Amino acid sequence: MVKFLSEEWNNISKEYILKKLDPEKDLKNVTTSLLAVIEHVPPNDTTMNFYLMLQDGKLTDFIVNTGDSSEGKEAVFTVSGNYGTYKSILKGEMSMAVALLRGRLKLKGSKMKALQIIKPLDGVIVSLKEITDEFED
Amino acid sequence: MRQDKALTVSKTSMEDALEIAKKGTHCGMCRFDFLGTGVCPSGKKYGFVAYWPQGRMQIFKMLKSGKVKPTEKLIEIANSCTFCGICDKQCNFATQLRPEKVAKALKEYTNNLDKSDYQQVVEDDIIKGLREIVGENWATNDPVIISSYVQTIIHPDSKLNFYVVMPENAEEISKIIKFANKHNIPFMPRSGGTLLSCATPTVLSKAVCLDHGIIIDLLRLKKLEVDAKSCTATVGAGITAFELQKEAHKYKLRANLAEAGAHVCANIASTGITSTWQNRYGWAADNYIDVTIVDDEGKISNNSDMDIKNPYTTERGFTDITLSAPGIITESTVKLHPIADDEDVVLVPFEHLKDALSMIMKLAQRNVGVSLIVLSRKYLSEFLCPTNSIAKDFEYICKNYLKLNYVVDVIGNKDDKRIVEEMADCTIDKSMIKTLILGAPKLASLKDSEFLKVLSEEKNPCKAIFAGPMRKHLEKGLDASPEQIAKVFDEDLQEFFKKVYSKPEMTDIIWLHSFRILPSRLMRQRLFFAQAGMIWAADQDKILRLVDMLSKVCDKYKLEHMLGFILPMDDGKYAFFEYDYYYDHNDPDATIRVSKALIETTENCLVMGDILMVLNYLFKGLYRKEHVLYPIPKGISEEDLALFRELIESILGDEFKW
Repeated sequence: MVKFLSEEWNNISKEYILKKLDPEKDLKNVTTSLLAVIEHVPPNDTTMNFYLMLQDGKLTDFIVNTGDSSEGKEAVFTVSGNYGTYKSILKGEMSMAVALLRGRLKLKGSKMKALQIIKPLDGVIVSLKEITDEFED
Repeated sequence: MRQDKALTVSKTSMEDALEIAKKGTHCGMCRFDFLGTGVCPSGKKYGFVAYWPQGRMQIFKMLKSGKVKPTEKLIEIANSCTFCGICDKQCNFATQLRPEKVAKALKEYTNNLDKSDYQQVVEDDIIKGLREIVGENWATNDPVIISSYVQTIIHPDSKLNFYVVMPENAEEISKIIKFANKHNIPFMPRSGGTLLSCATPTVLSKAVCLDHGIIIDLLRLKKLEVDAKSCTATVGAGITAFELQKEAHKYKLRANLAEAGAHVCANIASTGITSTWQNRYGWAADNYIDVTIVDDEGKISNNSDMDIKNPYTTERGFTDITLSAPGIITESTVKLHPIADDEDVVLVPFEHLKDALSMIMKLAQRNVGVSLIVLSRKYLSEFLCPTNSIAKDFEYICKNYLKLNYVVDVIGNKDDKRIVEEMADCTIDKSMIKTLILGAPKLASLKDSEFLKVLSEEKNPCKAIFAGPMRKHLEKGLDASPEQIAKVFDEDLQEFFKKVYSKPEMTDIIWLHSFRILPSRLMRQRLFFAQAGMIWAADQDKILRLVDMLSKVCDKYKLEHMLGFILPMDDGKYAFFEYDYYYDHNDPDATIRVSKALIETTENCLVMGDILMVLNYLFKGLYRKEHVLYPIPKGISEEDLALFRELIESILGDEFKW
């Protein structure tokens, strides 16, 4: 069992994305960075985030942190939403695009550019879906 | 379950009831008093959709399909109906359905249940928390009550793991949102539900419906105050367009509003209020002075607050699709407009859209008329005629005998009327429109008559019949009276409808434009999907090409279709168009074809350029129109089209593959 946002989740996610996703085929050689801020994390209603960076489709950074920023890391896009929204995305109940368009995820950065990279990022989300099987209630 | 006595004893009536329930389209006309009957007493008392006629129809459908199991609340819902008959009168005017038969069948069904048939409803911590906020009676997790919300906010195939809560004010909504966030539960507001009922059977369902969580039903926010001095009204989120218009008219003022059942606040946020008065009264932020919004963190603010970010602007571009409002509008202060003493109406019939379009744009650019629109013969027929079959024959006559395919419909002062009459070959005046409303059944019955065949041989049949010597024969022949039109209704309702049609407003076309009770007839027993957009109007040929394209795509997908209307906006610089696909919402194949036509026409419009499609202006009604409409959208490239397709795929999911 790998719990969302745990240290183990962080390590396995990194390993999984590097091993399973082809930089060209799956990640379209994209270069970007994303800071995902997760609000209302149970049980203590805290805020956490994960930061990931892709360089030419290769994962170069993946860090989980507390708070709403990843120290020293400036992301091209920041998406914020509550824990329940991320849970729905990682359980495959809602796509990241729909979450953005329905306002369940808030975006800092150009929506147009974000949507352009959403397809390659979908690969990352699918990977995270594969390995995440435990959530806080 | 014990043998269903109801099914054996009165099998036919159960089947009839189910048939009626399936034809229900959630037009919402049973939730406000548009005929002077009052409204459903149980709906008024209990609030939840389940206790209104439309809700009972949905519940009956859900029970019979096995998608929901009875709960003890079902007894209360079934018994709360007093069989007063109000719903039959209201629904019959709009859709010719008889919801009371469904209520009776629901009661019969419930009476025949055993104790063992009922499922238990567990009161969990979430429902306890919600009840602490709104009170015991205004929050529920009862699956039967929840099932009444299917088709207007819940997808028909969803599990019913929802809560419904009915707050009374912004403060309660704020608390609900904070509570939902704390427990990581999604939420969504529900107002009239009609917009969602049109979208739910289509491919848009996945994008617009709530998958699980808390439904915030806004019906209890009933504040309605007119300030005649400042020509404004303050309305709560539970107020319908009809209710506001009724109050405004007491002061000889008019609000710019959508269809009668639309909730004013939700309509401002969703489509910005589209109406025939749009060229003069404006669109989007033009309509309101201020709004109170609760954001998704539960923060309450007003657009007039000094410390908020600019609430009137939005991103632009074809990928800028928004599927929810920026917050829940709990209250808005809207503009009202004085009604001139000499207001009058004039309709100009046309065979060709090109000519109708040319006239309406000239009028818009010259600022003639307060209300301006080109209506298709389909709209005219649907609106004026009391039943589907009469509308069909009426339309046939317009097309084949009268060569009346479009009308330019103008409401203005006497000077406006004079200008229109000078420009037109022939016109239809207020008195003739009254004759057509009351005489529609008789006119429809003349479908294959010699009279119409002779008329059709005239060079200009409309001129001959509406402005020529044949007018008096038509007026005499149609025998247009409340008695005559009442005869098309069920026998037990004829006396009632005779009284309804005797009321001056029911045949007063200006009143009907303001109160908009007739568009609900587009949803009688089947649904329509409105493919809509705004097109830069400088090139009128392009508007004609657009209509032609929309028609061809619908032919390809074998849909019943027609242009609904074109109306000018922003002094005729833009034209708002609505092209409608009509379909049986119970036919899965039809919903797929509608979905395909919707996506294909959207794509084609994006490529054509100069068009802002509904997908790109939906939920942007709070913004300043200039920020939504400008810069004029350019046609997109092949590369952008591929991006748009990817986006649509990611929104709509696997169910809609290219």
